[in-house]
Amino acid sequence: MLRALPIGTDKATTAVMEIILRLKIKDAMTTDLKTARKEDSLRFIQQLMKNSYVTGVPIVENERIVGIVTVNHIMNALDKGYIHEPAEKYMGRALVVLEDDMPLSFAITYFNKYSYHRFPVIDKEQHLVGILTSRDILTTLLQELNAEMEELEGKIDMKIAAERGCTLNVITKDFAVNKFDFENAGRASFELKKILKERKVSQKIIRRASVASYELEINLVIHSDGGRILFTVDDNKITIETMDNGPGIPDVSVVLEEGYSTANEWIRSLGFGAGMGLANTRRVSDEFDIVSEMGKGTTVLSVINMEDKNEDIAIG
Amino acid sequence: MGRQVAIEAIAGAVSGNILYKGDYEHVNGVVASGLMSDVLVSEEEGILLVSNLSTPQVVRTADMVGAYAILITNGKMLSDDMKELAEELAITLLHTDMSMFDVCYKLGKILYER
Repeated sequence: MLRALPIGTDKATTAVMEIILRLKIKDAMTTDLKTARKEDSLRFIQQLMKNSYVTGVPIVENERIVGIVTVNHIMNALDKGYIHEPAEKYMGRALVVLEDDMPLSFAITYFNKYSYHRFPVIDKEQHLVGILTSRDILTTLLQELNAEMEELEGKIDMKIAAERGCTLNVITKDFAVNKFDFENAGRASFELKKILKERKVSQKIIRRASVASYELEINLVIHSDGGRILFTVDDNKITIETMDNGPGIPDVSVVLEEGYSTANEWIRSLGFGAGMGLANTRRVSDEFDIVSEMGKGTTVLSVINMEDKNEDIAIG
Repeated sequence: MGRQVAIEAIAGAVSGNILYKGDYEHVNGVVASGLMSDVLVSEEEGILLVSNLSTPQVVRTADMVGAYAILITNGKMLSDDMKELAEELAITLLHTDMSMFDVCYKLGKILYER
């Protein structure tokens, strides 16, 4: 028994329903048709199937479909020895067709209703204009879903960028960072460095951003229960943001003091946990913020302007 | 410091081996520490990072501060991960059996007594 395709407002989300209602059968169907005439022999149709990789051939007369020959018909013909006879006598005549202007959702319900693998498609004048298989639907849906997701991802990037007040040449990158994963600690920061190098950002700025990002990344590895690090780079500034899943910091003002650390011996033996991380990050940042809630988690924000603050001082 | 020292000269002074040759033939100064946060606070460019710590994070840290070379002291074993990462990031990697103290003494002589 075939599984029913999940369709209908109770089974599909609004977004998916919108897609399959918006798309017409003509958007999904194959128009490169392999057809035959009812006078053609079943052997001829068998060769046609073999050469063009189809499993069903509509039989056409005056542009209208009058029957269909499928692999099943061919098998029966081979079995019973009438493969050389014309199609007319043996072709399927109980035709279920779709109209090209119908929404794709309608076609999907047909695949639920009937056990056919393909449906011929006709236009208003009843001319055969295409054929629709489940593969056609699958291809079209995937294409459409990809386009939809791309648009959504774009919107999310734009939203993050807008929230940060940046508009020009924005790149955002998001990395998951796992607790005690020293093996991979630094990979995200390396990616940030690469982006900045590609953008020909000055060495000084790259170094400050790298230090901030690396300290924050290491903090996630050492102190958090895992979290994310997010970079947003535009023409004006670099924004580094970390968000973790806990455990939270009891007193934020204390952790900003140089030398304060809760790291254990093991972490210290790896060269970290000197209690400099957040202080270092703040030192290299033009803007710095930390918010923490016990049991919930900590977010840290570090912004580094593309213009060197030392140069500003020199000019000022 | 801002004084250029050839990496070959450093290897000679500390009886070290060059395990991998990166992009640069020289360094502009030295930072020695077993604490990566201390290294990250440093401000010199193109340094030699001397450490008695032998983890891939030393290489990562070196990369973050734009170090040209890394010298691992006290005969610490270097993992393949660490060597691979140094190659990937094109940072010269040196190794010596000398202690951190002796290395610093020898490097001090080259850097300050020329």
